[in-house]
Amino acid sequence: MIKKLKSHEAILVTLLIAEFLFFNATGRRFATIDNLFNIVRHSVEIGLLALVMTPIILTGGIDLSIGSTLGLCAILFGKLWRDAGLPPWAAAIGAILVGGACGLLNGALITQLRLPPLIVTLGTFSLFRGLAEAITRGVDAFTNFPESFLFLGSGQILGVPTQAWILLAVAILIWLIVHRTVLGRSFRAIGFSSEGARYAGLPVERRILFCYVLAGLVAGIASLTYTARLGTAKADAGYGYELLAITAVVLGGTSIFGGIGSVHGAMLGVAALAVLNNGLTRVPAVMNIASELSGVLTGALLLSALALGTLPKHLAAWRARRHISLH
Amino acid sequence: MKRIASFISILVVALTFGCGKSPAPASVAGSNKKITVAFMPKSKGNGYFVSCKQGADQAAKDLGVELIYDGPTTPDPAKQNEIIENWITLGVDVIAVACENRDGISTALKKAQDKGIKVITYDADARPDARMFFVNQATPEGIGNTLMDEAGRLCNEEGEFAIITASLTAANMIAWQEKIELRRREKHPKMTMVALRPCDDLKDKAQAEATTLMSAYPNLKLIMAICSPAVPGAAEAVKQAGKFEKVKVIGLGLPSENKAYVMGGITQDVILWKTVDLGYLTIEAAAAVARGELQKGAKKFTSRKLGEITIEGDNLLLGKPFIFDKSNIDQYNF
Repeated sequence: MIKKLKSHEAILVTLLIAEFLFFNATGRRFATIDNLFNIVRHSVEIGLLALVMTPIILTGGIDLSIGSTLGLCAILFGKLWRDAGLPPWAAAIGAILVGGACGLLNGALITQLRLPPLIVTLGTFSLFRGLAEAITRGVDAFTNFPESFLFLGSGQILGVPTQAWILLAVAILIWLIVHRTVLGRSFRAIGFSSEGARYAGLPVERRILFCYVLAGLVAGIASLTYTARLGTAKADAGYGYELLAITAVVLGGTSIFGGIGSVHGAMLGVAALAVLNNGLTRVPAVMNIASELSGVLTGALLLSALALGTLPKHLAAWRARRHISLH
Repeated sequence: MKRIASFISILVVALTFGCGKSPAPASVAGSNKKITVAFMPKSKGNGYFVSCKQGADQAAKDLGVELIYDGPTTPDPAKQNEIIENWITLGVDVIAVACENRDGISTALKKAQDKGIKVITYDADARPDARMFFVNQATPEGIGNTLMDEAGRLCNEEGEFAIITASLTAANMIAWQEKIELRRREKHPKMTMVALRPCDDLKDKAQAEATTLMSAYPNLKLIMAICSPAVPGAAEAVKQAGKFEKVKVIGLGLPSENKAYVMGGITQDVILWKTVDLGYLTIEAAAAVARGELQKGAKKFTSRKLGEITIEGDNLLLGKPFIFDKSNIDQYNF
């Protein structure tokens, strides 16, 4: 199992190198520091969501509401700052707590009522987005944030985009939890067999609840970097981001059935997609259809990565069959 | 294996960045360097913007300008910003954009201006300090007056009409509707507006609203649809009700979407600016701005194709809306 994961990550690293070499050769001003920072800035939110989606998928769950949570947090951040008159830092804490509450609702419905995560979060996907639209009536937008807050989205610390540090910090934290603690191992145990984990004495409900609350809190953080990057918060913030995050996680080698996967794989998935998206806009031959092409290639990439992942298994089966027929 | 792979990747990154050049300042005034204009629609799949691009392509060819075209395909509001930020590092000379999210995009456009890139907007404006000029396809007066005058003419200046709008809160819709009302009071006092209904920019909802209107107001003489999906929607409702002798349809929409209804005598006329001209003028203005031929404070601009263009403040005015009817709609394919 471990070996299979490693080979998958090797494929992703090779893919990233290939993308880099290709776009450096054909794209305009691709390999510049400015552009690298663009790639980082534009993928921080997806990266944050993919990071917290990983433990959820490891337990065999899914969170379709995470993009809507981002949208609701962004709106409430704007509301708390502009209408309630709170300073940005206090409004930010409020937004993160709202995200945590959204996650708590998901987790409670899943663990207490024993409803499937897909259905619960499909419901809250509409619910949270609907709330954001209702609060703003779909038209109100929050803007004119103070420079000190916008720094989060467009500033630099030690020459690196501010939000990259946030992504790095969250990535290290989640990586340590998933790969270096008993807690993280229990996610995989639950993903393999939640009944088995229960008989082994694991507090399955509490662990699952933890994953969804963590996802909500981090979606709250992502709403802040998103708002600071755009300089505006509207009800459509983070629209469709849940699917991009899931794509990155699965591309990174995490099994959608749970039990298998890694945080660094998910990050490689995010990077591979972000570089692809950015690179295509710089190749003169496809510049004018970059957006369409990146959709097509993302799909193709995901499917071929999954197919490649099953290749060793098929090869082994084929060899075994041949072995039998030879005798 | 993994360790070797990560070593190679680090090596590659180091090498490529070693060779990467930082963007040169975008200064082309007076030189013969080919100007690069980056041109963005609100969304790429929209027929309206596809026809704008036809004009833009033509202008780019006529003026010897390199055109880069990209825009969002999904309703992701952050996508326009990302593309702008990519264009900044790509080192284009001018960015011309139709803005989806006025406040959101202004941050990115200001960043472009800080890097010496000229910015103009068309179709939907950004904040005034985030761009040099706005190529304004039609003023609310132009649209409101033309629509109301047509309604008056078609109803012989007397009778009931209803308006189907996109939403009751959209700023442009409100502005147009105010001008329609103003014109009605001044020039067409015997016309009465009996209803104003939103259709959420959806054709099937517009169709349902039109059906309701016809049964609720039996004396209704005309439906005025002021968002583009509502024009074919209203026409379809009238057609299905078999009331085209009695209820006329006019509106603001694309000729191509309404051709069948106009030729069939259900929709009387469709009002719009020539989108091809909008695209053409935008690229012309972009090139002129890059060459320093068009500067802030200018009062006039001479277009190769459209002649003299009036500049009001920092708005280039495309001119009066155009009326597409049975006699000419066949000649337009946008």
